[in-house]
Amino acid sequence: MRPNIIAHPSSYRDPSGFIFEKDGVLYRQINLSFKEHFDHFIQSGCYENLVKKGLIVAHENVGENLTGDDNYYKTVQPQRLDFISYPYEWSFDRLKDAALLTLQLVKEALVFDMILKDATAFNVQWHDGRLLFIDTLSFEKYSETPWIAYRQFCENFLAPLLIMHHSKKQMPGLFLSWPDGIPLDIASSLLPKRSRFSLYTYLHIHLHAKISAKKNEGSHQPQALSRQKLLNLISSLESLVNKLKIPEQKSTWSEYYAEAGQRKDYLEQKKKIIKAWLDKMPGLQLAADLGANEGEFSQLLAEKNVSVVAADFDPYCINRLYNKIKETKERNIQPLVIDLANPSPGTGVNNEERTSFINRLNTDLVLALALIHHLAIGKNIPFDRIAELFGQTCKNLVIEFVPKDDEKIQLMLSQKKDIYTGYTEENFRKALERYFIIIDKASIPGSGRILFLLTKNEG
Amino acid sequence: MAHYLLYIDPGSGSYLVQVIVAAIVGIGFFFKNIKIYIRSLFTRSSKKTNDNPPA
Repeated sequence: MRPNIIAHPSSYRDPSGFIFEKDGVLYRQINLSFKEHFDHFIQSGCYENLVKKGLIVAHENVGENLTGDDNYYKTVQPQRLDFISYPYEWSFDRLKDAALLTLQLVKEALVFDMILKDATAFNVQWHDGRLLFIDTLSFEKYSETPWIAYRQFCENFLAPLLIMHHSKKQMPGLFLSWPDGIPLDIASSLLPKRSRFSLYTYLHIHLHAKISAKKNEGSHQPQALSRQKLLNLISSLESLVNKLKIPEQKSTWSEYYAEAGQRKDYLEQKKKIIKAWLDKMPGLQLAADLGANEGEFSQLLAEKNVSVVAADFDPYCINRLYNKIKETKERNIQPLVIDLANPSPGTGVNNEERTSFINRLNTDLVLALALIHHLAIGKNIPFDRIAELFGQTCKNLVIEFVPKDDEKIQLMLSQKKDIYTGYTEENFRKALERYFIIIDKASIPGSGRILFLLTKNEG
Repeated sequence: MAHYLLYIDPGSGSYLVQVIVAAIVGIGFFFKNIKIYIRSLFTRSSKKTNDNPPA
Protein backbone atom coordinates (compact mmCIF):
# COMPACT_ATOMS: atom_id res chain seq x y z
CA MET A 1 0.00 0.00 0.00
CA ARG A 2 1.25 3.49 -0.83
CA PRO A 3 2.69 5.43 2.12
CA ASN A 4 0.17 8.30 1.96
CA ILE A 5 -2.74 5.86 2.33
CA ILE A 6 -4.10 5.22 5.80
CA ALA A 7 -6.41 2.21 6.10
CA HIS A 8 -9.19 3.04 8.55
CA PRO A 9 -8.49 1.26 11.87
CA SER A 10 -12.04 -0.17 11.97
CA SER A 11 -11.84 -1.61 8.47
CA TYR A 12 -9.85 -4.83 8.85
CA ARG A 13 -12.38 -7.62 9.34
CA ASP A 14 -13.93 -8.00 5.92
CA PRO A 15 -11.64 -9.31 3.14
CA SER A 16 -14.06 -7.89 0.53
CA GLY A 17 -12.47 -4.45 0.75
CA PHE A 18 -11.64 -1.63 3.13
CA ILE A 19 -12.06 2.04 3.92
CA PHE A 20 -9.05 4.31 3.67
CA GLU A 21 -8.20 7.98 3.80
CA LYS A 22 -6.14 9.92 1.31
CA ASP A 23 -5.58 13.67 1.56
CA GLY A 24 -8.42 13.93 4.03
CA VAL A 25 -10.92 12.20 1.72
CA LEU A 26 -12.56 8.90 2.67
CA TYR A 27 -12.59 6.12 0.05
CA ARG A 28 -13.58 2.48 -0.10
CA GLN A 29 -11.58 -0.10 -2.02
CA ILE A 30 -13.40 -3.14 -3.34
CA ASN A 31 -11.07 -6.12 -3.57
CA LEU A 32 -10.76 -8.41 -6.57
CA SER A 33 -11.96 -11.35 -4.48
CA PHE A 34 -15.36 -9.64 -4.08
CA LYS A 35 -15.75 -8.71 -7.77
CA GLU A 36 -18.57 -11.16 -8.54
CA HIS A 37 -20.74 -10.03 -5.63
CA PHE A 38 -20.09 -6.32 -6.08
CA ASP A 39 -20.82 -6.46 -9.81
CA HIS A 40 -24.10 -8.22 -9.10
CA PHE A 41 -24.93 -5.65 -6.42
CA ILE A 42 -24.58 -2.85 -8.96
CA GLN A 43 -25.81 -4.53 -12.13
CA SER A 44 -28.91 -6.13 -10.61
CA GLY A 45 -30.16 -2.68 -9.54
CA CYS A 46 -29.96 -3.61 -5.84
CA TYR A 47 -27.64 -0.70 -5.01
CA GLU A 48 -29.75 1.82 -6.94
CA ASN A 49 -32.94 0.63 -5.26
CA LEU A 50 -31.45 0.90 -1.77
CA VAL A 51 -29.99 4.36 -2.43
CA LYS A 52 -33.25 5.58 -3.94
CA LYS A 53 -35.10 4.46 -0.82
CA GLY A 54 -32.54 6.24 1.37
CA LEU A 55 -31.50 3.03 3.11
CA ILE A 56 -27.79 2.86 2.32
CA VAL A 57 -25.00 5.33 1.81
CA ALA A 58 -24.47 6.51 -1.79
CA HIS A 59 -21.05 6.52 -3.41
CA GLU A 60 -19.29 7.79 -6.50
CA ASN A 61 -16.95 5.74 -8.64
CA VAL A 62 -13.38 6.94 -8.59
CA GLY A 63 -12.01 4.64 -11.29
CA GLU A 64 -8.42 4.68 -10.08
CA ASN A 65 -6.27 2.36 -7.97
CA LEU A 66 -5.35 4.86 -5.24
CA THR A 67 -3.75 2.29 -2.92
CA GLY A 68 -1.48 0.58 -5.48
CA ASP A 69 -2.80 -2.67 -4.03
CA ASP A 70 -2.65 -5.89 -6.14
CA ASN A 71 -6.02 -7.00 -4.83
CA TYR A 72 -7.66 -3.81 -6.16
CA TYR A 73 -10.88 -4.10 -8.14
CA LYS A 74 -12.61 -0.74 -7.71
CA THR A 75 -12.45 2.44 -5.67
CA VAL A 76 -15.54 4.34 -4.63
CA GLN A 77 -15.99 7.52 -2.63
CA PRO A 78 -18.85 7.18 -0.16
CA GLN A 79 -20.88 10.21 0.82
CA ARG A 80 -19.30 11.65 3.98
CA LEU A 81 -21.37 11.67 7.16
CA ASP A 82 -21.27 14.54 9.64
CA PHE A 83 -20.71 12.51 12.77
CA ILE A 84 -20.13 8.80 13.35
CA SER A 85 -21.73 7.41 16.51
CA TYR A 86 -21.70 4.01 18.17
CA PRO A 87 -24.43 1.79 19.66
CA TYR A 88 -23.24 2.54 23.20
CA GLU A 89 -24.35 6.11 22.50
CA TRP A 90 -27.83 5.28 21.21
CA SER A 91 -31.13 5.30 23.02
CA PHE A 92 -33.49 2.32 22.92
CA ASP A 93 -35.67 3.37 20.00
CA ARG A 94 -32.68 4.16 17.82
CA LEU A 95 -31.27 0.67 18.37
CA LYS A 96 -34.72 -0.77 17.66
CA ASP A 97 -35.01 1.19 14.41
CA ALA A 98 -31.49 0.10 13.44
CA ALA A 99 -32.62 -3.52 13.94
CA LEU A 100 -35.69 -2.96 11.76
CA LEU A 101 -33.58 -1.28 9.06
CA THR A 102 -31.21 -4.27 9.05
CA LEU A 103 -34.13 -6.67 8.57
CA GLN A 104 -35.62 -4.46 5.87
CA LEU A 105 -32.30 -4.60 4.01
CA VAL A 106 -32.37 -8.40 4.07
CA LYS A 107 -35.81 -8.38 2.46
CA GLU A 108 -34.96 -5.66 -0.08
CA ALA A 109 -31.75 -7.44 -1.10
CA LEU A 110 -33.52 -10.80 -1.55
CA VAL A 111 -35.62 -9.32 -4.34
CA PHE A 112 -32.34 -8.90 -6.24
CA ASP A 113 -31.05 -12.34 -5.25
CA MET A 114 -28.72 -10.89 -2.66
CA ILE A 115 -28.33 -11.36 1.08
CA LEU A 116 -26.95 -9.19 3.87
CA LYS A 117 -23.83 -10.93 5.15
CA ASP A 118 -23.09 -8.59 8.03
CA ALA A 119 -25.55 -7.49 10.71
CA THR A 120 -23.51 -5.46 13.17
CA ALA A 121 -25.21 -2.45 14.75
CA PHE A 122 -22.12 -0.33 14.02
CA ASN A 123 -23.04 -0.34 10.32
CA VAL A 124 -26.17 1.70 10.95
CA GLN A 125 -25.37 5.39 11.12
CA TRP A 126 -27.29 8.66 11.06
CA HIS A 127 -27.56 11.05 8.17
CA ASP A 128 -30.02 13.81 7.31
CA GLY A 129 -32.37 12.91 10.13
CA ARG A 130 -32.60 9.19 9.40
CA LEU A 131 -30.79 5.91 9.84
CA LEU A 132 -28.51 4.84 7.03
CA PHE A 133 -26.63 1.58 6.43
CA ILE A 134 -23.02 2.41 5.60
CA ASP A 135 -21.38 -0.85 4.53
CA THR A 136 -21.68 -1.17 0.75
CA LEU A 137 -19.75 -4.46 0.87
CA SER A 138 -22.23 -6.26 3.11
CA PHE A 139 -24.26 -7.66 0.21
CA GLU A 140 -23.39 -10.97 -1.39
CA LYS A 141 -25.16 -13.24 -3.88
CA TYR A 142 -27.90 -15.34 -2.32
CA SER A 143 -27.88 -19.07 -2.88
CA GLU A 144 -30.75 -20.48 -0.79
CA THR A 145 -28.48 -21.08 2.20
CA PRO A 146 -29.23 -20.08 5.82
CA TRP A 147 -28.60 -16.44 6.78
CA ILE A 148 -24.93 -16.16 7.67
CA ALA A 149 -25.50 -13.10 9.86
CA TYR A 150 -28.41 -14.53 11.84
CA ARG A 151 -26.50 -15.11 15.06
CA GLN A 152 -24.83 -11.72 14.70
CA PHE A 153 -28.26 -10.12 14.39
CA CYS A 154 -29.53 -11.92 17.48
CA GLU A 155 -26.47 -10.89 19.52
CA ASN A 156 -26.24 -7.30 18.23
CA PHE A 157 -29.90 -6.36 18.26
CA LEU A 158 -32.27 -8.89 19.79
CA ALA A 159 -30.24 -9.58 22.92
CA PRO A 160 -29.74 -5.97 24.11
CA LEU A 161 -33.26 -4.93 23.07
CA LEU A 162 -34.83 -7.87 24.92
CA ILE A 163 -32.76 -7.30 28.05
CA MET A 164 -33.78 -3.63 28.11
CA HIS A 165 -37.41 -4.49 27.32
CA HIS A 166 -37.71 -7.02 30.13
CA SER A 167 -35.80 -4.99 32.71
CA LYS A 168 -37.66 -1.81 31.65
CA LYS A 169 -34.32 0.04 31.85
CA GLN A 170 -32.17 1.56 29.14
CA MET A 171 -28.59 0.27 29.08
CA PRO A 172 -26.66 1.62 26.10
CA GLY A 173 -23.48 0.74 28.01
CA LEU A 174 -24.08 -2.96 27.27
CA PHE A 175 -22.34 -2.36 23.95
CA LEU A 176 -19.21 -1.18 25.70
CA SER A 177 -18.88 -4.55 27.40
CA TRP A 178 -19.88 -6.53 24.33
CA PRO A 179 -19.19 -4.54 21.16
CA ASP A 180 -19.82 -7.65 19.04
CA GLY A 181 -23.21 -8.12 20.64
CA ILE A 182 -24.22 -9.91 23.82
CA PRO A 183 -23.25 -13.60 23.58
CA LEU A 184 -26.41 -15.71 23.41
CA ASP A 185 -25.65 -17.76 26.54
CA ILE A 186 -25.18 -14.55 28.56
CA ALA A 187 -28.32 -12.99 27.08
CA SER A 188 -30.26 -16.16 27.84
CA SER A 189 -29.17 -16.17 31.47
CA LEU A 190 -29.78 -12.43 31.94
CA LEU A 191 -33.34 -12.64 30.64
CA PRO A 192 -36.10 -13.50 33.11
CA LYS A 193 -37.58 -17.02 33.09
CA ARG A 194 -40.91 -15.73 31.82
CA SER A 195 -39.24 -14.64 28.58
CA ARG A 196 -39.14 -18.37 27.64
CA PHE A 197 -42.91 -18.29 27.29
CA SER A 198 -42.64 -15.90 24.37
CA LEU A 199 -42.24 -18.24 21.39
CA TYR A 200 -39.92 -16.07 19.32
CA THR A 201 -37.76 -15.07 22.30
CA TYR A 202 -37.48 -18.73 23.21
CA LEU A 203 -36.47 -19.72 19.68
CA HIS A 204 -34.12 -16.88 18.76
CA ILE A 205 -32.36 -16.55 22.11
CA HIS A 206 -32.87 -19.45 24.52
CA LEU A 207 -33.01 -22.35 22.08
CA HIS A 208 -30.41 -20.66 19.87
CA ALA A 209 -28.05 -20.41 22.87
CA LYS A 210 -28.67 -24.02 23.85
CA ILE A 211 -28.01 -25.44 20.40
CA SER A 212 -24.98 -23.20 19.83
CA ALA A 213 -23.45 -24.38 23.09
CA LYS A 214 -23.43 -28.01 21.90
CA LYS A 215 -20.16 -29.21 20.49
CA ASN A 216 -19.97 -29.21 16.75
CA GLU A 217 -19.57 -32.89 15.98
CA GLY A 218 -18.95 -33.25 12.27
CA SER A 219 -20.87 -31.05 9.93
CA HIS A 220 -24.47 -30.50 10.93
CA GLN A 221 -24.77 -27.63 8.54
CA PRO A 222 -27.91 -27.93 6.51
CA GLN A 223 -27.20 -27.20 2.91
CA ALA A 224 -30.25 -25.19 2.11
CA LEU A 225 -32.89 -22.92 3.54
CA SER A 226 -35.51 -21.96 0.99
CA ARG A 227 -36.29 -18.35 0.25
CA GLN A 228 -39.75 -18.70 1.80
CA LYS A 229 -38.27 -20.17 4.97
CA LEU A 230 -35.73 -17.36 5.18
CA LEU A 231 -38.56 -14.84 4.80
CA ASN A 232 -40.42 -16.63 7.59
CA LEU A 233 -37.34 -16.28 9.79
CA ILE A 234 -37.02 -12.55 9.00
CA SER A 235 -40.70 -11.91 9.60
CA SER A 236 -40.52 -13.64 13.00
CA LEU A 237 -37.57 -11.40 13.93
CA GLU A 238 -39.44 -8.33 12.71
CA SER A 239 -42.54 -9.20 14.66
CA LEU A 240 -40.51 -9.73 17.84
CA VAL A 241 -38.53 -6.48 17.48
CA ASN A 242 -41.73 -4.54 16.78
CA LYS A 243 -43.19 -5.65 20.11
CA LEU A 244 -40.22 -4.44 22.16
CA LYS A 245 -40.55 -1.15 23.97
CA ILE A 246 -39.17 0.77 26.87
CA PRO A 247 -41.66 2.40 29.23
CA GLU A 248 -41.73 6.17 29.39
CA GLN A 249 -39.95 6.98 32.61
CA LYS A 250 -39.82 10.08 34.69
CA SER A 251 -36.09 10.73 34.68
CA THR A 252 -33.92 13.32 36.38
CA TRP A 253 -34.48 15.91 33.69
CA SER A 254 -37.72 14.88 32.07
CA GLU A 255 -39.63 17.88 33.28
CA TYR A 256 -36.76 20.27 33.06
CA TYR A 257 -38.23 22.59 30.46
CA ALA A 258 -41.70 22.60 31.96
CA GLU A 259 -40.17 23.49 35.29
CA ALA A 260 -37.59 25.90 33.89
CA GLY A 261 -40.38 27.59 31.99
CA GLN A 262 -41.94 28.61 35.25
CA ARG A 263 -38.88 30.66 36.10
CA LYS A 264 -40.23 33.83 34.52
CA ASP A 265 -39.12 34.00 30.98
CA TYR A 266 -35.65 32.62 31.71
CA LEU A 267 -35.65 30.28 28.71
CA GLU A 268 -36.93 32.93 26.31
CA GLN A 269 -34.32 35.47 27.41
CA LYS A 270 -31.60 32.87 27.07
CA LYS A 271 -32.74 32.00 23.56
CA LYS A 272 -32.83 35.66 22.57
CA ILE A 273 -29.20 36.21 23.60
CA ILE A 274 -27.96 33.02 21.92
CA LYS A 275 -29.90 33.75 18.72
CA ALA A 276 -28.30 37.18 18.47
CA TRP A 277 -24.84 35.63 18.90
CA LEU A 278 -25.53 32.90 16.33
CA ASP A 279 -26.57 35.55 13.81
CA LYS A 280 -23.04 36.92 14.02
CA MET A 281 -21.47 33.49 13.39
CA PRO A 282 -21.95 32.51 9.76
CA GLY A 283 -20.43 29.37 8.28
CA LEU A 284 -21.02 27.04 11.22
CA GLN A 285 -21.19 23.44 10.01
CA LEU A 286 -20.94 21.07 12.93
CA ALA A 287 -21.95 21.93 16.48
CA ALA A 288 -22.62 20.07 19.70
CA ASP A 289 -25.17 20.82 22.37
CA LEU A 290 -23.69 19.24 25.50
CA GLY A 291 -26.28 18.61 28.17
CA ALA A 292 -28.91 19.01 25.47
CA ASN A 293 -31.85 17.66 27.46
CA GLU A 294 -34.70 17.51 24.93
CA GLY A 295 -32.88 19.62 22.38
CA GLU A 296 -34.63 22.97 22.79
CA PHE A 297 -31.38 24.84 22.08
CA SER A 298 -30.11 22.35 19.47
CA GLN A 299 -33.16 23.49 17.53
CA LEU A 300 -31.81 27.07 17.30
CA LEU A 301 -28.76 25.70 15.47
CA ALA A 302 -30.72 23.20 13.38
CA GLU A 303 -32.88 26.06 12.09
CA LYS A 304 -29.71 27.65 10.75
CA ASN A 305 -28.89 24.42 8.93
CA VAL A 306 -26.04 23.58 11.30
CA SER A 307 -25.56 19.87 11.97
CA VAL A 308 -25.87 19.33 15.73
CA VAL A 309 -24.83 16.50 18.01
CA ALA A 310 -27.30 16.75 20.90
CA ALA A 311 -25.71 14.89 23.80
CA ASP A 312 -27.12 14.18 27.23
CA PHE A 313 -26.39 11.53 29.83
CA ASP A 314 -30.07 10.78 30.35
CA PRO A 315 -31.13 8.04 27.88
CA TYR A 316 -34.82 8.79 28.48
CA CYS A 317 -34.43 12.45 27.43
CA ILE A 318 -32.45 11.36 24.39
CA ASN A 319 -35.04 8.74 23.49
CA ARG A 320 -37.78 11.37 23.63
CA LEU A 321 -35.70 13.70 21.49
CA TYR A 322 -35.06 10.85 19.03
CA ASN A 323 -38.78 10.18 18.68
CA LYS A 324 -39.55 13.88 18.39
CA ILE A 325 -37.03 14.17 15.56
CA LYS A 326 -38.60 11.19 13.79
CA GLU A 327 -41.99 12.81 14.08
CA THR A 328 -40.98 16.31 12.97
CA LYS A 329 -38.51 15.00 10.35
CA GLU A 330 -35.82 17.31 11.70
CA ARG A 331 -32.73 16.68 9.57
CA ASN A 332 -29.94 18.40 11.49
CA ILE A 333 -29.97 16.94 15.00
CA GLN A 334 -28.37 13.65 16.04
CA PRO A 335 -29.34 12.80 19.65
CA LEU A 336 -26.77 10.76 21.60
CA VAL A 337 -26.46 9.41 25.12
CA ILE A 338 -23.17 10.74 26.48
CA ASP A 339 -22.02 11.05 30.07
CA LEU A 340 -19.55 13.94 30.03
CA ALA A 341 -17.99 12.68 33.25
CA ASN A 342 -17.23 9.45 31.38
CA PRO A 343 -17.48 10.01 27.60
CA SER A 344 -17.13 7.00 25.29
CA PRO A 345 -13.51 5.80 25.23
CA GLY A 346 -11.50 4.57 22.25
CA THR A 347 -12.40 0.90 21.88
CA GLY A 348 -11.65 -2.14 19.77
CA VAL A 349 -8.32 -3.29 18.35
CA ASN A 350 -5.46 -1.16 19.74
CA ASN A 351 -8.15 1.16 21.12
CA GLU A 352 -8.28 2.69 17.65
CA GLU A 353 -11.08 0.84 15.96
CA ARG A 354 -13.73 3.13 17.39
CA THR A 355 -12.58 6.60 18.31
CA SER A 356 -13.33 8.19 21.67
CA PHE A 357 -16.18 10.71 21.81
CA ILE A 358 -13.82 13.61 22.46
CA ASN A 359 -11.57 12.74 19.51
CA ARG A 360 -14.58 12.49 17.20
CA LEU A 361 -16.03 15.77 18.38
CA ASN A 362 -14.29 18.39 16.31
CA THR A 363 -16.88 21.13 16.15
CA ASP A 364 -17.23 24.76 15.12
CA LEU A 365 -19.32 25.46 18.18
CA VAL A 366 -20.27 23.89 21.49
CA LEU A 367 -23.30 24.96 23.51
CA ALA A 368 -22.88 24.19 27.21
CA LEU A 369 -26.02 25.55 28.82
CA ALA A 370 -26.95 24.98 32.46
CA LEU A 371 -24.26 22.31 32.48
CA ILE A 372 -21.28 23.66 34.42
CA HIS A 373 -22.74 23.15 37.90
CA HIS A 374 -23.61 19.51 37.15
CA LEU A 375 -20.00 18.81 36.24
CA ALA A 376 -18.27 21.06 38.79
CA ILE A 377 -20.55 20.48 41.78
CA GLY A 378 -22.50 17.33 40.85
CA LYS A 379 -19.40 15.43 39.75
CA ASN A 380 -16.61 17.38 41.53
CA ILE A 381 -14.77 18.02 38.24
CA PRO A 382 -12.39 21.01 38.57
CA PHE A 383 -12.92 23.98 36.20
CA ASP A 384 -9.52 23.29 34.58
CA ARG A 385 -10.56 19.81 33.48
CA ILE A 386 -13.93 21.05 32.21
CA ALA A 387 -12.22 23.83 30.23
CA GLU A 388 -9.90 21.19 28.74
CA LEU A 389 -12.94 19.28 27.44
CA PHE A 390 -14.13 22.37 25.56
CA GLY A 391 -10.60 23.26 24.46
CA GLN A 392 -10.34 19.87 22.75
CA THR A 393 -13.72 19.85 21.07
CA CYS A 394 -14.67 23.27 19.70
CA LYS A 395 -13.55 26.46 18.00
CA ASN A 396 -16.29 28.56 19.59
CA LEU A 397 -18.11 28.13 22.85
CA VAL A 398 -21.34 29.42 24.31
CA ILE A 399 -21.39 28.58 27.99
CA GLU A 400 -23.66 29.47 30.86
CA PHE A 401 -22.23 30.21 34.28
CA VAL A 402 -24.56 29.36 37.13
CA PRO A 403 -23.59 31.30 40.29
CA LYS A 404 -23.34 29.49 43.59
CA ASP A 405 -26.33 31.24 45.13
CA ASP A 406 -28.55 29.93 42.33
CA GLU A 407 -31.49 27.95 43.69
CA LYS A 408 -30.47 24.83 41.70
CA ILE A 409 -27.00 24.81 43.23
CA GLN A 410 -28.43 25.45 46.68
CA LEU A 411 -30.69 22.45 46.15
CA MET A 412 -27.66 20.32 45.21
CA LEU A 413 -25.72 21.60 48.22
CA SER A 414 -28.55 20.75 50.58
CA GLN A 415 -27.70 17.08 49.88
CA LYS A 416 -23.92 17.32 50.18
CA LYS A 417 -21.17 19.19 51.96
CA ASP A 418 -20.08 22.47 50.39
CA ILE A 419 -16.43 21.86 49.53
CA TYR A 420 -16.62 24.10 46.48
CA THR A 421 -14.89 27.25 47.70
CA GLY A 422 -13.21 27.63 44.30
CA TYR A 423 -16.55 27.74 42.48
CA THR A 424 -16.47 31.42 41.50
CA GLU A 425 -17.05 33.29 38.27
CA GLU A 426 -13.45 34.51 38.36
CA ASN A 427 -11.98 30.98 38.56
CA PHE A 428 -14.38 29.82 35.88
CA ARG A 429 -13.26 32.58 33.52
CA LYS A 430 -9.58 32.00 34.26
CA ALA A 431 -9.89 28.28 33.46
CA LEU A 432 -11.60 28.99 30.13
CA GLU A 433 -9.13 31.73 29.20
CA ARG A 434 -6.36 29.14 28.98
CA TYR A 435 -7.99 28.00 25.73
CA PHE A 436 -10.39 30.78 24.72
CA ILE A 437 -10.84 34.54 24.43
CA ILE A 438 -14.07 36.01 25.79
CA ILE A 439 -15.92 37.76 22.95
CA ASP A 440 -19.12 38.69 24.73
CA LYS A 441 -20.90 38.27 28.04
CA ALA A 442 -24.59 38.69 28.87
CA SER A 443 -26.62 38.31 32.04
CA ILE A 444 -29.85 36.38 31.70
CA PRO A 445 -32.40 38.76 33.25
CA GLY A 446 -34.08 37.62 36.41
CA SER A 447 -31.84 34.60 37.00
CA GLY A 448 -28.36 35.75 38.09
CA ARG A 449 -26.92 33.40 35.47
CA ILE A 450 -24.41 34.61 32.89
CA LEU A 451 -23.83 33.57 29.28
CA PHE A 452 -20.35 33.77 27.78
CA LEU A 453 -19.41 33.70 24.11
CA LEU A 454 -15.83 32.56 23.61
CA THR A 455 -13.58 31.80 20.68
CA LYS A 456 -10.48 29.65 20.58
CA ASN A 457 -7.26 31.36 21.48
CA GLU A 458 -5.12 30.05 18.62
CA GLY A 459 -1.94 31.69 19.90
CA MET B 1 -21.03 -19.99 0.09
CA ALA B 2 -17.53 -18.77 -0.64
CA HIS B 3 -15.20 -19.74 2.15
CA TYR B 4 -13.41 -16.42 2.49
CA LEU B 5 -16.67 -14.81 3.49
CA LEU B 6 -16.76 -16.76 6.71
CA TYR B 7 -14.94 -14.10 8.67
CA ILE B 8 -18.20 -13.89 10.52
CA ASP B 9 -18.59 -17.11 12.44
CA PRO B 10 -22.20 -18.11 11.94
CA GLY B 11 -21.82 -21.20 14.15
CA SER B 12 -23.38 -24.46 13.04
CA GLY B 13 -25.93 -24.14 15.85
CA SER B 14 -27.21 -20.96 14.23
CA TYR B 15 -27.86 -22.82 10.98
CA LEU B 16 -29.77 -25.54 12.74
CA VAL B 17 -31.84 -23.03 14.72
CA GLN B 18 -32.76 -21.22 11.51
CA VAL B 19 -34.17 -24.41 10.05
CA ILE B 20 -36.17 -25.11 13.22
CA VAL B 21 -37.41 -21.54 13.57
CA ALA B 22 -38.33 -21.26 9.89
CA ALA B 23 -40.31 -24.49 10.11
CA ILE B 24 -42.18 -23.48 13.28
CA VAL B 25 -42.92 -20.01 11.92
CA GLY B 26 -44.06 -21.66 8.67
CA ILE B 27 -46.55 -23.83 10.57
CA GLY B 28 -47.73 -20.75 12.45
CA PHE B 29 -48.28 -18.87 9.20
CA PHE B 30 -50.11 -21.85 7.73
CA PHE B 31 -52.70 -21.81 10.49
CA LYS B 32 -52.82 -18.03 10.52
CA ASN B 33 -53.61 -18.04 6.81
CA ILE B 34 -56.40 -20.55 7.36
CA LYS B 35 -57.78 -18.33 10.10
CA ILE B 36 -57.59 -15.28 7.82
CA TYR B 37 -59.24 -17.24 5.00
CA ILE B 38 -62.11 -18.43 7.18
CA ARG B 39 -62.57 -14.95 8.60
CA SER B 40 -62.55 -13.49 5.08
CA LEU B 41 -65.39 -15.85 4.07
CA PHE B 42 -67.57 -14.35 6.76
CA THR B 43 -66.51 -10.79 6.09
CA ARG B 44 -67.13 -11.17 2.39
CA SER B 45 -70.56 -12.72 2.89
CA SER B 46 -71.59 -9.96 5.29
CA LYS B 47 -70.33 -7.36 2.83
CA LYS B 48 -72.36 -8.94 0.07
CA THR B 49 -75.55 -8.55 2.04
CA ASN B 50 -74.68 -4.93 2.70
CA ASP B 51 -73.92 -4.24 -0.93
CA ASN B 52 -77.23 -5.61 -2.10
CA PRO B 53 -79.65 -2.82 -2.72
CA PRO B 54 -82.91 -3.20 -0.83
CA ALA B 55 -85.54 -4.85 -2.95
